[in-house]
Amino acid sequence: MEKKNKAKSGAQKSEKIDFESALKKLEAIASKLEEGELSLDESIRQFETGMQLAKFCRERLDEAEQKIEILQKGAAGKTARKRVEIDQDTGEIVDDDLQGSLL
Amino acid sequence: MDALSQQPRIYTVSEITRNIKKTLEGKPDFNSIWIIGEISNLTFHSSGHIYFTLKDDDAVIAAVFFRYANKNITFKLKEGMSIRVFGNITVFEKRGSYQINVITAKPEGVGDLQRRIEELKLRLMREGIFDPRHKKKLPILPRRVGIVTSPTGAAVQDIIKVALRRFPNIEILIAPAVVQGDDAAVSIVRGIEELNKPEYGIDCIIAGRGGGSFEDLMPFNEEAVVRAFYSSRLPIVSAVGHQIDHPLSDDAADLAAPTPSAAAEYAVPVKKDFMDEIDYLLIRTNNAIASLIRDLSARIAAIVERRIFRDPYEIVSRREIGLSDLEKRIRACLREAIPTGRNRLLVVPDITILIKNIINNKTYRYGMALNALDQLSPLSVLKRGYSIAMDERDAVLKSVAGTAVGRLIKLIMHDGLLRCAVNSIEKGKHHGEKK
Repeated sequence: MEKKNKAKSGAQKSEKIDFESALKKLEAIASKLEEGELSLDESIRQFETGMQLAKFCRERLDEAEQKIEILQKGAAGKTARKRVEIDQDTGEIVDDDLQGSLL
Repeated sequence: MDALSQQPRIYTVSEITRNIKKTLEGKPDFNSIWIIGEISNLTFHSSGHIYFTLKDDDAVIAAVFFRYANKNITFKLKEGMSIRVFGNITVFEKRGSYQINVITAKPEGVGDLQRRIEELKLRLMREGIFDPRHKKKLPILPRRVGIVTSPTGAAVQDIIKVALRRFPNIEILIAPAVVQGDDAAVSIVRGIEELNKPEYGIDCIIAGRGGGSFEDLMPFNEEAVVRAFYSSRLPIVSAVGHQIDHPLSDDAADLAAPTPSAAAEYAVPVKKDFMDEIDYLLIRTNNAIASLIRDLSARIAAIVERRIFRDPYEIVSRREIGLSDLEKRIRACLREAIPTGRNRLLVVPDITILIKNIINNKTYRYGMALNALDQLSPLSVLKRGYSIAMDERDAVLKSVAGTAVGRLIKLIMHDGLLRCAVNSIEKGKHHGEKK
């Protein structure tokens, strides 16, 4: 039983932390530091962790690279992605060969 | 005789009509009922009321559709049209007729469709397709959003506009679909299934279309489409523009939006909000650390203010005094002890070791060490009243035989030295023994 738990926690550790829990952790660190109950060493440690979490969150926010793509039927019925431009004002897809459907 | 005395009850027309009215209108079977029939003798009165007859092959019933009720219907009544009306049976005393007082009406064709939708809804509900516990949470930070809709409609534009406004670097993948007509259902299902493929790396899906007539929205009531929403591995938002009746896809989706724009708002977060939140948390963290450091600095300043730090030499010189005092005492002790070092009378342990130990001791132990030294020192023996006798050559006298009358001896006391001449020698006698 204990072994099982251990294996599980090990797996969780190796799992990449996601944006939401990073943000929650940062929030928890801010609150904990504000309480001022931690030792200096622990405060500095938490502070460093907080900085890392903030950096991680910002990186995640900037990770996506704006692009609009549309699926199209290619040759031999293969589905392919095609990058399209968007009219910034209307949101309209600027493409003179828009297929109505994947089918 | 009895029959004669019992006069038959005679009603006035009004009385019997009132009774009929009471009976008919009071009967639950005639209240809040649906009637299907074909419209005939349709009259639009200038007052806004509508009068017509509902009929089928074998019977007719008069119908009145008052203005306050008929202003809400969305279709136009026509002669010969087959409709369903909902209302109560009422009696119009003045004409001696009964009629259906219509509260609402629906064209029978659509009524059929609606009944089918209701049946499908019931069936899927029983199957658990709409069960809230199947609903997945939308990702808090989607990187790539999939859209299933017409690539040329207003819906896709609205979604893209809103999504880019909220999260300028969002990635969007559109699965173009037919969203009305006979091909729509298959097309929508295909789009949802395609975007669910892991290879596209999509985080959530928006599927829908802009608002339209009841028939336009029908594809999103199709069983296959509803099931595709339910089966979607990825969280999916139903984005069908509607005002009153929502399509079944709304019930099966993880989240239902009343318009495509609203769906984009549900699915795509505002990037700036996150940035602001992170900034805010960083400011809080920084402030907390800054105030911690400020507190510590103040405490350190207060400590530095204490005398030991202000004038450390003072402490050292105080210690020095203690040390030199100790040194003096040890020297004194040595002065006393060394000349008699070879003397068996005094049981003195190796005093150099003792001194080393003392010196090695930490400062706070000086007192204790001194005490111990005192206990062992010949000084303390002398203090108790003993003295040491020595001859002229400073050899300790261990026997009266070691001297002679007229010779000089030294008596070492704890606080000094007596030089004495020997007056007499009484061997074997102690001074305390008086015979």
